[in-house]
Amino acid sequence: MIDVTTATKVLPGSELYAEAVDWLHTEAELLDNGREREWLEELISPEIAYRLPLRQTVERARGAGFADRTHHLDETYGSLATRVARNETAYAWAEDPPSRMRHFVTNIRVHDVDDHTLKVVSNLLIYRTRSDQTRPELFSGERHDVLRRDDRGRLQLVERTVYLDQTVIGTRNLALFF
Amino acid sequence: MSTVSPRRTTTAQTADDLIAGLREGLPNGEIPVGLFGNEDIYRRELRSLFGRCWVFLGHESEIAAKGDYVLRKIGEDNFVVVRDEEGEIHVLFDACRHRGVQVCRADSGNTSHFRCPYHGWTYNTRGELIGAPLWQNAFGGMNKAENGLASAAQVASYHGLIFATLDPTAPPLEEYLGGMAWYLDLVFGLNEHGIEVLGPPQRFVIDANWKSGADNFSGDDYHLGTLHRSVWEIGAFPVPFRENMMGYHVQASPGHSLSFSMAATDDEPGPKFFGYPDDLVETFNSERISEHQLEIARRSRVFVGNIFPNFSILALPMTEDGLNHPPTGVLTIRTWQPAGPGHVEVWNWFAAYKNMTPEQKDRAYHAGLGTFSMGGSFEMDDTEPWSTVGRTGRSVSAELLGFKLNYQMGMPGIGISRPVDEWPGPGVVYWPRYEEGVQRNLYRFYLGMMEAEPGEWPALSFGGGNGSGAA
Repeated sequence: MIDVTTATKVLPGSELYAEAVDWLHTEAELLDNGREREWLEELISPEIAYRLPLRQTVERARGAGFADRTHHLDETYGSLATRVARNETAYAWAEDPPSRMRHFVTNIRVHDVDDHTLKVVSNLLIYRTRSDQTRPELFSGERHDVLRRDDRGRLQLVERTVYLDQTVIGTRNLALFF
Repeated sequence: MSTVSPRRTTTAQTADDLIAGLREGLPNGEIPVGLFGNEDIYRRELRSLFGRCWVFLGHESEIAAKGDYVLRKIGEDNFVVVRDEEGEIHVLFDACRHRGVQVCRADSGNTSHFRCPYHGWTYNTRGELIGAPLWQNAFGGMNKAENGLASAAQVASYHGLIFATLDPTAPPLEEYLGGMAWYLDLVFGLNEHGIEVLGPPQRFVIDANWKSGADNFSGDDYHLGTLHRSVWEIGAFPVPFRENMMGYHVQASPGHSLSFSMAATDDEPGPKFFGYPDDLVETFNSERISEHQLEIARRSRVFVGNIFPNFSILALPMTEDGLNHPPTGVLTIRTWQPAGPGHVEVWNWFAAYKNMTPEQKDRAYHAGLGTFSMGGSFEMDDTEPWSTVGRTGRSVSAELLGFKLNYQMGMPGIGISRPVDEWPGPGVVYWPRYEEGVQRNLYRFYLGMMEAEPGEWPALSFGGGNGSGAA
């Protein structure tokens, strides 16, 4: 994890802030439109650590209840690439026909870690319906991202931890990207 | 297949109607679909199955220290599974004896006591009432011993797996497990270290009936070829579909079924011991189990099974990333918690042999998480058909049409599966795995439990040995 205490907050209105926001919006657009391979190949670093920790209800003294080493998703580039490849087969029933999905990204906070690294914290709400569902499946959470410039100057995601606001997940699968 | 005569009434099917339909249809491999959605039958299941059977609650490694507790479920109800100061495990109904308020407010933790947030009645980790504010003024003279937390009627463990039952007339756990215990030995007892769970369980709710999970894990190997076909295309599982159908279906004892993927001959290449790493396999021995059990484990590529009603076990070689990691042995244990006729809460644990290295545990965990979890390449597809089984189960049309589900694979004259006479273990055994007797065994015991009067138990063994009783 990047130590935010040594990072400088980047204020809205600055060029760097706008670049981070645009990156998040571009990512959401790719994911909402089923462009998973572009998402993987353009935006994700080969060094990616992508995690969705398991959460329990615990007493206040024990914190927010996130498990240290237990997850719902704990992914590397290889396992993310495997997911993308799976969804490209003709037998990925969980998302074929696909859900209707929308990523809402708000409360964006950007920290400048060093010349080529940003830490970006955002609130995330995902709205999803499958088949003829009228009641959406919702995921709410906070994403802690680290974006790093590659040798061509493009920002890529090297670290993402998604802190969900649920202990029991109320959806039939996690065949989506957060 | 035949259908029963269409119903001509204006009222919904009752549990009695469905039980009669099951009794009539089962000998011909037919099951009324209403079992998967009818409200009345669900209510009866909570009493007749979850109110009586031994149900799985957790593993001893989750509450290793004195005062450790986890909050778990029997049927829809919360129970605290707690290790007391003497190290004994108690299963306590999570309701204060004063007003019925929940006393355990976290999913897990370590404590010396449970205090009700309403009036402060306080219980120790044995469930005994130890006090309340201004005790003498309020309750002086009242008998504390009669006002402890209610507890499960019986609690017992097998290979560290903690079970409890609410029924004082239930037979002891090992008698209830019957022939299944022999098979649990060869999954959990391969060395003196035994297993531990890797972290707290995943929990997720899907819009399906709980029996879809129990039914599938009783030995539905045939669905892999269609529903899970993607896993071969991405290299997640090393045994091709047709080869993987080779192996044994075992009705271990009434209600409990399992299935082994096993090559026809010993010299065929492929995973042994569920794909566990070689240096772990070197520690396996027959000190706690028989040579026969060790040999079956050695030849097994996959073990999958269900302990009636809702506890399932799966061991097999998997990978979440076939390009970078070869498949390795994954062990998952899970419960299918009833959460209404149309919902099931899945609790999913990963487990590993305690003497595996940290790196091996980490690899097994990641391989399991990427395949048999709600975000895993195998499991994410299972919920698609299960949710529509539930929809058909609630369907008025299905009821009016007398619609029954087909469980006839492997019955006499259907398919190639045949009974096996030479088998060293308990139960009724078929080779190869093109058969659904394992599921009919689940529903036959289900029928027995649903029809049993309080205090009565259906037969817990097949009696005359292999070949009798179950078809």
